[in-house]
Amino acid sequence: MARRVAVIGAGMTKFVRRAQETGKELSWIAGRAALDNAGISLADVDAVCAGTAPDAFDGVHRKGDYLADGSGAWGKPYIRTFVGGGTGVFVPIQAWYTIASGMADVVLVLAEEKMSSCQPHPQGAFLTIFDNVIERPLGPNLLWIFALEMQRYMQAYGLDKRDIATVAVKNKRNAADHPSALLGQADITVEDVLASEVLAHPVQRLDVSPISDGAVALVMASEEAAAKLTDSPVWVQGVGWNLDSTYWTNRDLAYPEYVENAARMAYDMAGVTEPRKQIHVAEPYDPFDYKELHHLEGLQLFDKGKAPEAAAAGVTARDGDLPVCPSGGLLGVGNPIAAAGLMKIAELFWQLRGEAGARQVPGTPERGVAQAWGDLMQVGTVVVMGTDGGPSTTATRQGTPPIGPRATPLTDEAFRSAAGAVDEPLDLTYEWDTGEAMGAFLEGMRDGRVVATTCAQCERTLVPPRVFCERCFRPTDGWTEVEAVGTVETFSICHVRWDMVALDPPEIPAVIRLDGASSGGFLHKLDEVAPDDVSIGMAVEAVWKPVEERTGSILDIAYFRPRHGGEDR
Amino acid sequence: MSRAIHGDLPVRFRYTPGVANTSFFEALRDRGVLLGSKCEACSVTSVPARMFCERCFAELSPGVECGPGGSVESFTIGHVGIDGEALDEPVAVALVRLDHADSVLMHRLLGIESPAVGMRVTARLRPQAERSASILDIEGFERE
Repeated sequence: MARRVAVIGAGMTKFVRRAQETGKELSWIAGRAALDNAGISLADVDAVCAGTAPDAFDGVHRKGDYLADGSGAWGKPYIRTFVGGGTGVFVPIQAWYTIASGMADVVLVLAEEKMSSCQPHPQGAFLTIFDNVIERPLGPNLLWIFALEMQRYMQAYGLDKRDIATVAVKNKRNAADHPSALLGQADITVEDVLASEVLAHPVQRLDVSPISDGAVALVMASEEAAAKLTDSPVWVQGVGWNLDSTYWTNRDLAYPEYVENAARMAYDMAGVTEPRKQIHVAEPYDPFDYKELHHLEGLQLFDKGKAPEAAAAGVTARDGDLPVCPSGGLLGVGNPIAAAGLMKIAELFWQLRGEAGARQVPGTPERGVAQAWGDLMQVGTVVVMGTDGGPSTTATRQGTPPIGPRATPLTDEAFRSAAGAVDEPLDLTYEWDTGEAMGAFLEGMRDGRVVATTCAQCERTLVPPRVFCERCFRPTDGWTEVEAVGTVETFSICHVRWDMVALDPPEIPAVIRLDGASSGGFLHKLDEVAPDDVSIGMAVEAVWKPVEERTGSILDIAYFRPRHGGEDR
Repeated sequence: MSRAIHGDLPVRFRYTPGVANTSFFEALRDRGVLLGSKCEACSVTSVPARMFCERCFAELSPGVECGPGGSVESFTIGHVGIDGEALDEPVAVALVRLDHADSVLMHRLLGIESPAVGMRVTARLRPQAERSASILDIEGFERE
């Protein structure tokens, strides 16, 4: 039987574009604030759980133990967990089972991100999430994934971009009341969002959360320890996490099934049977405005495709029927990746305690849900927290109130001229082995063939091919070929490269579903078509390079173009 | 058929030194002193200075001048470079415990043919005009 676990303190730095503080120093500021808020010292902490996103942001390997001193981990059981953007909501899950299992009574939970060291743009660190062999050669941009998913979501449910833009407005306005926020803006309007620069259609500049530096910390405790330390614990009632297919182009891009699976796991544990009645405040992951809506649907708080109109109608406003991201979210407070996720847990803690100040939602919220998302955009992490009806202890609170956050922003000039700054290239190159299945696929390209494998058990034809079926976990049964014709599953018109250098003309990445494949689509580009004429469901065909120019690469298909006489879906 | 696909990770990094290291480097460049920070509760002095005590999480200030003298805690003499190539001149590197400090500092040994653990050494700094707020403003440690 798992022990009950409570959150008893929280603290955070200000989120800034570039912090003067090192990652260790940011961690310490947040950790110290959380300990002070809980009214305890580091000596009272039994174990430390930390989270921070890719090592490549910092060029520091083993970031966990690099941050160990700032995390308060000296001489203690310590672990760093990492599930990409989902990390910030996974770290308290790690702390939950450290305590629930009886291994520790008091755990310090730390999440830190310092993205500003990575040059010329932190997006470079994300390039490695794309498949080395069949996607990296296309010159992908992280924005592609979001734009392609957003386009698919909008098309599947006939959504209005204007309704989606209301999320950015709501969150940046909410953030104007958050003392740690980077991009709070009380007077922003939907017109501002719709008029902002198009980065990768349909994604515009103000649809996107900012790159940031920052740290957040919590103190979590067993029921027994919490009873001695606070008169207002906030309980972790449920936790859940789940992963979709690692082949992102094979997923249902219009609906985050992995979020539904993670939410159901957490709701079951929390005894939540009617989330729309039993959840009073939500902090879904909102790195892009449409993602908040996508995730609200996965969290079962709105029907599929219905969150945008509810948002536009004010249902998710701070004083609406279901306040969503009253903190201001990633769009407003900022997005230092792992820290941003943990900020959502801290916000639920403050909201459920009635300590959120100007951000406090009306009434007496008793239960909230927070969620984050990441890895190759397919992990869902969910935590349900609640007051269980009020104080369950007789302890008198000893800690300080949530304290004034700090962190020192560095201007561009100060960043360039900082005394003692060090520039380091990474200077690494890689040789990736294609493996058997992808090797055969690339050799097929040389001959103008699209090689697939089949699984007799689930009766799927798999593109890209694999030597084992990931669903049945058995060897695939044979090789086959599919025609290089299909339909556009989703597309974007991208105006920037990964390092944000403008592209003119823009390029048109697309997920193509080949007619003969049952696994879904794969990533390529469109050409011989005006951007305005591209549509989802359009029939397309591969245009191959001349035989003598082929090298056994995904680029042996020069691009896809509209298939005349082909049947659009 | 399996074969290699070539790729890279086209990023580089710019690290600014943070709050505590900025104090350390500016004092080194401008005043030629090695600043540490002392945690009174733990009676531990770290150099370079730190913003906080990792043992008790107390906030620290960079108020203790350490060295320039110290003793060799350990040393090594490297005969090969990072790619395994033979070096023309062996490189001596030591962990030096500066006077008044509890932590050790890694740096080069200069002109010492046969180093020994416990040997007294002292920091040799570059001339002030050449200093740039870098750990290399210390040229190395030489026999005291």
